[in-house]
Parts: sequence; structure tokens; C-alpha cells
Amino acid sequence: MSELNLDDELVQDYLAECREHLATIENDLLAIEQGGADIDEQLVNRVFRAAHSIKGGAGFFDLSKIRELAHRTENALDLVRSRQMVPTPEAVSILLLAFDKLRELIGNHRASNAADIGEFVVALTALAAGSLPEHEKSSLSEQVTVQVPEANKGIQVSAFDLSQARKGGKRVYLIEYDLIHDIERRNKTPWEVFKRLIKCGTILETVFDLDSAGTLDDEPSNRLMLEVLYATVLEPDLLEGLVEVPPERMRLIEKDGNIRSLAAPVPVPAAEPPAPAKPQVEATPVTQAKPVIATPALEDAPKTVNAMPVPANEATIRLNVTLLDSLMTLAGELVLSRNQLNESLARQDDRGIRSGAQRVSLVTSELQEVVTQTRMQPVGGLFSKFPRLVRDLARDLGKDAQLKLEGGEVEIDKTILEGLSDPLTHMVRNSVDHGIEPPAERVAAGKPALGTVTLKASHQAGQVVIEISDDGKGLAAEKIAASSVSKGLVTREQVQSMSDREKMALVFLPGVSTAEKVSAVSGRGVGMDVVKTNLDRLGGKIEIDSAPGQGSRFRIKLPLTLAIIPSLLVSDGGQRFAIPQVSVGELIRIPAAQLAQRTDRVGDAQILNVRDRLVPMLYLADALGVPRPDSSLRALNVVLVDTGAFEYGLVVEELHDTVEIVVKPLGRHMKGLHDYAGATILGDGRVAAILDVAGLAARANLTAGTAETASRHAAAETNSSGELHSLLVFHNAPNETCAVPIEQVSRIERVRPAQVQHLGGRRTMQYCGSSLPLVALHDTAAVGELSEEQQWVVIVFERLGRPLGLLAAEPLDMLEAELNIDAVTLRQKGIGGSAVLKDRTILLLDIFELADAARPEGAPSELRNLASAVASGDHALTVLVADDSEFFRGQIQRLVESVGCKVLTAEDGEAAWELLDHHAGEVDLLATDIEMPRLDGLALTQRIRADGRFAGLQVIALSSLAGEEEIARGLAAGVNEYQIKLNKDELTDSIRKAARRKVSDPAYATT
Amino acid sequence: MIAVSREDNKVVVRPAGDSIVAASIPELRLKMREIVAEGVQELVIDLTDVQMVDSSGIGLLISAFNSQRKVGGRLAVIHASGEILELFQTMRMHQHFSVSGN
Repeated sequence: MSELNLDDELVQDYLAECREHLATIENDLLAIEQGGADIDEQLVNRVFRAAHSIKGGAGFFDLSKIRELAHRTENALDLVRSRQMVPTPEAVSILLLAFDKLRELIGNHRASNAADIGEFVVALTALAAGSLPEHEKSSLSEQVTVQVPEANKGIQVSAFDLSQARKGGKRVYLIEYDLIHDIERRNKTPWEVFKRLIKCGTILETVFDLDSAGTLDDEPSNRLMLEVLYATVLEPDLLEGLVEVPPERMRLIEKDGNIRSLAAPVPVPAAEPPAPAKPQVEATPVTQAKPVIATPALEDAPKTVNAMPVPANEATIRLNVTLLDSLMTLAGELVLSRNQLNESLARQDDRGIRSGAQRVSLVTSELQEVVTQTRMQPVGGLFSKFPRLVRDLARDLGKDAQLKLEGGEVEIDKTILEGLSDPLTHMVRNSVDHGIEPPAERVAAGKPALGTVTLKASHQAGQVVIEISDDGKGLAAEKIAASSVSKGLVTREQVQSMSDREKMALVFLPGVSTAEKVSAVSGRGVGMDVVKTNLDRLGGKIEIDSAPGQGSRFRIKLPLTLAIIPSLLVSDGGQRFAIPQVSVGELIRIPAAQLAQRTDRVGDAQILNVRDRLVPMLYLADALGVPRPDSSLRALNVVLVDTGAFEYGLVVEELHDTVEIVVKPLGRHMKGLHDYAGATILGDGRVAAILDVAGLAARANLTAGTAETASRHAAAETNSSGELHSLLVFHNAPNETCAVPIEQVSRIERVRPAQVQHLGGRRTMQYCGSSLPLVALHDTAAVGELSEEQQWVVIVFERLGRPLGLLAAEPLDMLEAELNIDAVTLRQKGIGGSAVLKDRTILLLDIFELADAARPEGAPSELRNLASAVASGDHALTVLVADDSEFFRGQIQRLVESVGCKVLTAEDGEAAWELLDHHAGEVDLLATDIEMPRLDGLALTQRIRADGRFAGLQVIALSSLAGEEEIARGLAAGVNEYQIKLNKDELTDSIRKAARRKVSDPAYATT
Repeated sequence: MIAVSREDNKVVVRPAGDSIVAASIPELRLKMREIVAEGVQELVIDLTDVQMVDSSGIGLLISAFNSQRKVGGRLAVIHASGEILELFQTMRMHQHFSVSGN
């Protein structure tokens, strides 16, 4: 035994924790058994963690037998977890019995070190070795006969069932029913009676006395006897109220096999597991006691000596009297308000009703606040158990460590506080075990030998923040990542796209550990996932911050209370949802016009640019399976949510208020839905599901890496050859993908085929109060036609002088990509060229040719006027177009020609210079690309500006690079205008200006 | 009206009404007694219409089972509703005669 006082609070906390773990293990194990080889990892992990927790504490308190047994079960479970062992019924039975023994040991922890656990260790070891002898396995399926008193027969029941039934303090009763007198004469049906029994316990076995019914030839029997073996937590006096059978026909079967009639005047037996403060006095004569025949090999009668009183879970709470007083006052207020309301209602006094309702609402809010306060407890109580833990642990590990506590007065809901105990213990233990280095190492690193672990609580924006920090060696992100990869929890590729912080967050995955060796304290890779699971359940978030060599810091954000939380209401697909405020970072509204700039699409992922951070986007509509809100017309509402590990943008249809909601747990049948954390009832009586933002992200396969990967993709594409183009990608016929430069597009409208009107051989549609001429690609090119199955859209081009609509089909996409445009292979009228992107051939449309097709009468009047103005007389304008992209060169050429200018073209700066050199004085305007081989646009401009012959030459830079820096460099090089490629309005405008200058001053350009 | 149908060595008795309770038992008892007396190998009780069986009803079925057992015949209950099926299973009736649901 250690020198620890095994009665102190710390031990009690540990024991209470163990009991909690053990309470859930049973069902979990049974569920694991059901699953067989098809393992539910979460379930196995949960049991594994429970065993781990028990082991950890036992090691700390020097409860060697408990620790050893827990360690053995953990080993066996580890085999199940790693799929090396199938959880057969035999295996699960052994585990169940081992946990029973653990429960017994924990119930009597003082004597536990003297207990004999040999057979369990042998069984578990054999199990782990996969070599459990057959005869031992079979002993588990032994049958026990419960002798029915006064009847020459017994009830056969599986020993295992019987021992199972006794778990959790259940008692086993033998009830003798007379179906006629006890049921029918009381106007009940057997079904009603059994249903009641099943509600309060388990019917283990029943035996009908067939002879009591007689045959058809006998008189109808008025006595039908049924023996029921029933397990329940109810005490005998309560059972009598439930079963309505005379007490002499109810018997309690005690654990040692004695059968005792409830009719006998026996004191109420003490609670099981056996541990009453009073010794088990066999004071009264046990009536009709017959032993249970045979006990299973592993079923141990408890060797209870000198048992400790087992404290029940804290069900009471200490309250400040002033708080109670204010509750009383508020209750009084409520009564007064109710009276006022009743009276006003009786008098039909509208004003009175209104003011009464207002008062009720006011008092209710105050009442709620005060009631919430009654559940608030200072975290100091919880913190106080850690200094000792740190001290003792440090001593065991040969380290110097101290614990600093701050903010012990911060109050938090009792339920949350209780739930925090486990995770905090783990984390403090981790800090000492993994964080703080041995003294020598610390000194060598220039740190004080004494390591410090700080536990700090504070209020922040309606939340409680608890920080566990240490000045130790920090988390080794790479090691965690490597460990996760080797365990197959993440792939190497995923790791490569992760930031250090995300790598550290991997410690929350089950099975990840950084400890080199498995110790009694830690290193098995459970712990942090316990922490995460527990915190998730409490609605908390955890963040990791760590600098190698300087220590690590864990921040836990918790809601003040679980019952009522402020939440943001959103809606999608006609339903409303609540997002807990703690998860909401910010709200972003993206106008349709900015959608292209602020979002991007890489591969499958849509990403959002939030102040130069890239976050992945998730459409709530996709998760719900409803159509996405139509973003082409409306602004996009994005809720930036934080899962703790990363942020993402949740796109919702509508945003509503922030309200305080009362959290209702979801029913068991919805337990599998990880999208939802609960539900609430809104003011209008409708139900709103509470979204679990982490669950949503997980289901959509959204990870921290998504955004990074996306940005890397974008960067990678930038680095490839070719030129960066912003394109709107759409479909023509289903298998024909087309694109136009996004700058040319004004709007996109969804249309139904029926909206397209055919008038005078032209297609039009009603648009903004006038007729919009429509063209389709198959008007000019030999391509497929749109089919009615597709969702049609009209892409509106307004910069051609007059609006023009192009009929196209969804899906639409936007992309910014480097393209090598082939202007030859697929060139047709209306198709300027093609490019290959991710194995897809995209047709790049020549919108000017399409526009011509829609207006066979020629260019619209304004341009015609301009054209005639510039073309008249000697004033014809000559434009030199320099662009290495044949596609764009063609586009610009056609555009410039359409306003009546003469065009010279050059495929790079050098060629442009040669042309200028030869035709000095003839060229009025140079439209040049920036990025070109041999001589780029800027160098070309500089050379032009350095040459006096071209002093009057207008230079317009046309580029896809539109950063401020690029523009500044362009202007510094001497360009007159810097335009984004390819904006027809701007370019024609510039040409028009140049033309006017030339008209008014013919000498201007020729110098 | 109790419907009785016969095929080979099997007699199917389909009690009328939605319950087998004290009031409806005497008639059913009489009918079954007749059938058992014929020496039928399998007596099948079709509970298609029956929603509820009370204690006496259970007694009657057990009596029928006892009678059949005495003469080496069998008893089967078919088309039991979910509730009745569960009740019979709780009472381990299926260990004595065949019970099937609808």
C-alpha cells in the first residue's frame, strides 16, 4: 500500500469515476459481441478507454491488483481493436466476468491488493494468447438450477445470465404468479402485467406449470401457476407494489443461492454490490432456503470484509442562501404576475394582458438566470485535486514540477464540471508525463529545473475557457503525424498538406501516442481521444498550441451551461437549424457579383477566401439533400464555423436571429446521426435541429487539410506553363464543356426551355422588360443541341454594345487555371479554341462571332458609328495587337476590327517591336499582353518609351495579372492604361478615345 | 363463429372475435374438445383475428396442449399478433408448442 490515505477525496473521485466507466461497459461489451467480427471501433475504443482510465488511476493509487486486471482486459481489448481477435461470445464473457471482478475490487478497494485474481489473469492471458482451453471456455455456458420451493422442480437458467442480471445492484426474485387470481381477477391481462415487469427489470426465465391448466376435458382451471425469475433494482417492498402477488409467493434469491420469502419479517437487505457498513447479519431465520445448485467456474462469491461505505453520486448541491432568497422572491413575483394576467384576461383588458405578459416574460428570464446560477459551481473544487496529482506524479517520474492554479473562482455548470474531471486529469497527467522534461534535460536547455504546469480558468465572451499549459518540451508535430500514419489513421498525403497545428490535433484520434514506451501512466494512445470525446459531449472545444522546446498549451472552451445555449438560427430547404454560438466564428454575406472573386473551386472542393485565408466551404443544402440556394442570383450566406480543429464556411439559405435555445437531446433512434447535436423547440412551437458542425464536416469528408490542399493546387496550377485565365465553365450538349472568360459575363439567369420565344427566325426571351436576343452555340458551330433534360441557363453578355444571351446548360463552374489554348484543332465559327483541363476538353467560345451570328445585320449602331468615324478618310486607326496566345490575339483582333480599325498582330514583344520598327508612324495604338516569351510587354513598353519616334503611341496593357503591384509596374514602365483581359467595354472605350484624339488632331499620332 | 378447416391430419381452428377471453372461451373449449376427440394429429389455432388473450385464454391453450399431448398429437398457434407472440415467448410457450406470428 502506498502512503496515500485511501479514504481521501482523490480516491473517492477515482472510485466514482471507475463506477461510471463500469456502468457503461457491460452494454458496450454486449454490443461488441453482437457485432462479432464486424467491429464498431468507437465502441471498442470506449471500452478500451474505460479500462485504460481504471488502470491509470489504480497505478497512481498503488492498487496493484486492480491495475493488473485492468491492464489484462486492456490487452485483450487492444487485440479486438486491432482486429487480431474476434470478440466471440466466449471472449466477451471472459471480459465481462473480468470487469465484474474489477467492479468487486473497486467496491472494496482497500482489500483489493489481497484479492485473488489469478483465474481472471489466466483466462485473459489465455484469451490474449488465443489459446484458451476448450473446457474452460465451456464452463462459461454452464446452467444453474434455481429450485422452486414447495415444488418438485427447478428453473434452469444460464449461470451467465444470472450473474449478468445481478449487475448494477440488481436483485433476482422468484415470483409465483397465479394467472387467474393475480391477473384475471384483478381485471388485468398477462400482457399488461409482463409489460410492467419488463419496464422495471428483466424477466430471466419463466416456467409455466402445465399441469395446473388441466386438459380440455377437465373443468376450466381456476389456478394457472407461472414461475417468473425476475431481475430488478427494486427493493422488496417496492416490488410488492409492482407485482401484486401475495408476499408469500415472492422470493428473493440471494447471491449465495439462499432463497428467502418476502413474507418473512427480514430487514431490508443492503445494497449490492455488497458493501454495507453494517455486517451482513443473518439475523432472522431464512425460510425455505434451498441452495442454488452449481456455480460457474469464474463466479466468485464476494469475500467481503470490512467494506467501505460507497458514496452515491453527488445528488445534492450546496446553495448560497441569498440565491435561494432571490428564487423565492422571483417565485413570488411570478405569482403576482400570474394574478395580474388572470385578472386582465377576465376583464378582457388588452393593456393589462400585455403588461402582464411582459412581466411574466421578465420574471421568467430572471428566474431562468437564477436557476441556472444554482447549478453553477466554482471550478476551484475540481482544480484542488490536481496539485497533489502533479506532485506525486512528478515524484514517481523523477521530475520537478509545480502546478499553478488561476481562476478557481470561475463558475460553471455542475454537469460540465463533473464531466471535466476526466479530461482534465488526463491532460494534467500528460503535461507532467510527456510535457515536462527531466530536470537535467531542462537545465541543459537553459530552463529552470522546476517545470510549471498552469491550470487557468477564465470567462471569455459568455464561455468558460480552461487552459492547461506547461513549459515543457512541446508537442512533436512530426512524431504525432508519423504515428498517425503508421497506425493508418491518416494517409501520408493528408499529412503532407497539414499545418503543424493540424498535425498536433491528430493526437485527438484514437490510438495516437507520442510516448516511446507504454507505461502505466500513459503511452497507449488513449487519453487524448478520451479528452476530445468527453469535451465534445460537454459541447466544448479544444485547441492546441505548442512551440517545440517552449511548452504546449491546450485551450478548452466550454459553454457556461449545457441546458440553455445561445445559438444562431439558420434555415435551408424550408427547415430551421440552430448552430451553437460557440461554434460560430463570423457571418459572411457574399453578393452574387463577388462570388467569383471570393470563392474558388479546386477539384471537388469549393473554397472561400476570408481575408486572405482559404477555408473550405460546405453547403448545408448538400448535407440535407436539398437543392442548393441559387447563388447566381442571390447573395450567398456563409457561417464561418469552427470545429476546434479547423474552420469552414457553412453555406445556408438564410440567416436568422441569435436566440437562447433549450437543448433537448435527440432520441435514441437518431443517435447515429452525427450531423445533429440535439434539438430544440422554437418560439413558434416548431422543432429545430441543432447542427453539429464537426459531424457535418466529417460526413462531407472535410478536413483541416482541404483548404490547404486547395490553395496548394491553385499554386501548383499557377506554376505550370500557359497563362492564367478566369473562366466560366458551362455545358452545351451534356458532353460538351464550354467556357468563356469570366470578365465578359454580366449575368447568368436560369431559364426554362419554354421561356425561349421564337420570333421571326430569331430566339429571344423577356429580360429586364425588353427582348434579349439569344444565341446558341449550335447556331454557328457543328455541336450538339441543348436537351430539355438539362437545366438551361442564359449567360448574359452586356458589354458587346447591346445585351446578348447565350443559351447554355448547368452545371456551371468557375475556375482560374493555366491553359494552353489550341486555336486550331477545334476552331469553328463561334469557337475560338480549345484547351484541356483535368482530362476534359473545354471549348473556348468566341463571343464576338456568336454576337455576329445573332446580329447578321452587323455591328450595332454605336460601334458602327465609331467604326465609320475612325475609318473615314485618313483617320483609320491602326492597332498593333501583341499577345502570345493565339486565342486571345484572335479575340482582340476581332474586337478591334469590329470597331473599324486596322489590325497588326504579333505573337510576342520582339515581333511587335519589329513591326513597330518597320511601320513607325503608322501604328496608333498598341494593345499588348504582359507575359510573353522573348520580350515581355513591360520591356516592350520601356523600349517604346525610350524611342522618340513613338512618343505619341498609346500603349494599353492587357493582362490577366491584375494585382496592384503589377499595375504599378506597368504604369512605371510607361503604359497608358492597364486593363484586365478581356474587357470589351474598356478596350473599345480606349480605342474610341484614341480615335477621337486622332480625329481632332491628325498630327497627334504621327508626330 | 368459429371457423374450422381440415386438411389431411391437420385441423385449423380460427376463433371468432378479436379476443380469447373468459366470455368466448366455453364455446371454443367445446369445439376444441370435439376436434381432439376425433384424434387429429395437429391442432392449429389460427389467431389471425385475435388481438388479445387473457389468463383464461392462455389456460385454454395450455389445456388444449395438454389434451393433445396426452393422445400424442401436436398443437400449433399461427398468425399470432406481435403482442401475443411476445407474450407467449415471455411465458416460454414456444418451448412446448409451435408459435408463429402473422
